[in-house]
Amino acid sequence: MKIDHKIVASFLLFLMTVVCIVSGVEFLDMRTPDVIYPSEDLTKIGKLSDYFEELKDGSGDTDIYFFEGKEPGATVLLLCGTHPNEASGFIAGVLATENVKIKAGRLLIIPQACLSGFSCTDPMEGYPQSYTLESKSGERKFRFGSRVSNPLDQWPDPLVYSHFPSGQKLSGFETRNLNRSYPGRPDGTFTEKVGYAIVQLIKKEKIDLAFDLHEAAPEIPIINAIIYHEKSEDIGLNAILNLEFRDLRYAPERSPENFHGLSHREWGDNTDVYPFLMETCNPIQGRLRGRTNSELILTGKSPQYLAAQETGKLRIEYDAEGVPLDKRVARHLQGFLEIVNSYNEFFPEKTILLEGLPEYEDLLENGLSNYLK
Amino acid sequence: MRLFKSLTLLMLALTFITTQAQESKKYEGPILVTSAGQSADVKLAGLLLKKQKLEAETITMAKAEDLKGVKTLIVVPGFSSKGLGAAGISADEELKRVQELLKQAAELKIPVVLLHIGGKARRQGQSDNFIKEVAGVSSYMIVVEQGNEDGLFTELAKKQKVKLELVSKIPLAAEPLGKLFK
Repeated sequence: MKIDHKIVASFLLFLMTVVCIVSGVEFLDMRTPDVIYPSEDLTKIGKLSDYFEELKDGSGDTDIYFFEGKEPGATVLLLCGTHPNEASGFIAGVLATENVKIKAGRLLIIPQACLSGFSCTDPMEGYPQSYTLESKSGERKFRFGSRVSNPLDQWPDPLVYSHFPSGQKLSGFETRNLNRSYPGRPDGTFTEKVGYAIVQLIKKEKIDLAFDLHEAAPEIPIINAIIYHEKSEDIGLNAILNLEFRDLRYAPERSPENFHGLSHREWGDNTDVYPFLMETCNPIQGRLRGRTNSELILTGKSPQYLAAQETGKLRIEYDAEGVPLDKRVARHLQGFLEIVNSYNEFFPEKTILLEGLPEYEDLLENGLSNYLK
Repeated sequence: MRLFKSLTLLMLALTFITTQAQESKKYEGPILVTSAGQSADVKLAGLLLKKQKLEAETITMAKAEDLKGVKTLIVVPGFSSKGLGAAGISADEELKRVQELLKQAAELKIPVVLLHIGGKARRQGQSDNFIKEVAGVSSYMIVVEQGNEDGLFTELAKKQKVKLELVSKIPLAAEPLGKLFK
């Protein structure tokens, strides 16, 4: 039988058109903003460009949610989504924005610090683009982004990234990592500009206490840790002891003075703030994770990690129950609350009084869905 | 058979007497607290002593000369790459420092208390190297249970013939620590 080449060509053209349309729609879907419904105590929504105008209306111009109490007190920054592939930090920020009530002081929440990174995924990782959570209003979809800024916003990567101003050398990929960019500079790369704007925010808003929420692979030694600048040590250690009473174990880690670009180092060195960075355990980031899908983000269940844990080589608590997103978010929020409490103990004349955020046990019992609008 | 029974009883009695002697042994100040592996757990140890109203000096990188006048050395083993980075030293340099410190403590007959509060996060790999180093000269061990799930400390305490006090949480380590000095 003779095959008509025109028919074959037309069929292939049609097939390619379908593939392009489907992948194009998926590609553009990553530019659809995540929706957040702030609590009634919201005072205003600001923009990062309010602190560095060059970012205005660009892909780094993320939202800042302001909550101001009637009584004066400390100002706290809760920065989430530095690495958009670390879901618990972002969702902890969303949950806090949607539930917090404030009696004294001010709370500023940035749920998506690296907004650019939410618009793409990391190449060669096979990551899902999004995941869906149950909420009071039904299903809500959230983007699962990249560890770093979108290459469409900053390209090409150099072979070696030289941090400003220390001159510290890191791999070229890290040039788009917000948490290697601090204190940033106004005439630097896209990511350095975002880092610069965040440092300007900390200075201009006179932030007293600041948090940067992260996740890491189970094999990374600093998971389930609270990392602090040396000036935050007493506040952090006091909080860690209080968390122990709840059977919540956080390893204390002091920020190395010679490791530059990280929030816990540069915020502390360049501003008056007491900085903290917290990490939870996220199997989807690990090398042993196996099947990579949105289920893994939500359940944190990985048979491969369980097998690895059984070899005795992992240094974390990991069992067949996995490390579900509810638990990771609950850890972040409880750590945040205990550090705030500890700060209040050290500075009783300038406290911040928060309500409405679920305690660790409540969040585990009721689930995330009961706290998302 | 009678001889066997007598020997068993004798051994039991000796074990009992040794354990009692360890428990009743009083430690005294001045107390020096140091790390073995540069984890920040050493700072938590300082807080625990403070809660027991015990005065102690914490020198994270104590050297042999810092033992002058010290009557008890508390060593908190636990490896931290961030801690080593903060201290600006390598793991080998840290191990050498710890070995020299412990050697000097032994020469000066300063009792060494091992305090492990970091749980699983401060076990295996490099952490275990520091733990074994410290355990080898310790006269008392206080350990948060999570760090002893594989029985390493039980084994080390047995080998060293010293008392091992296991506690379930870090804050609960304060009490046995305080008792040593009261």
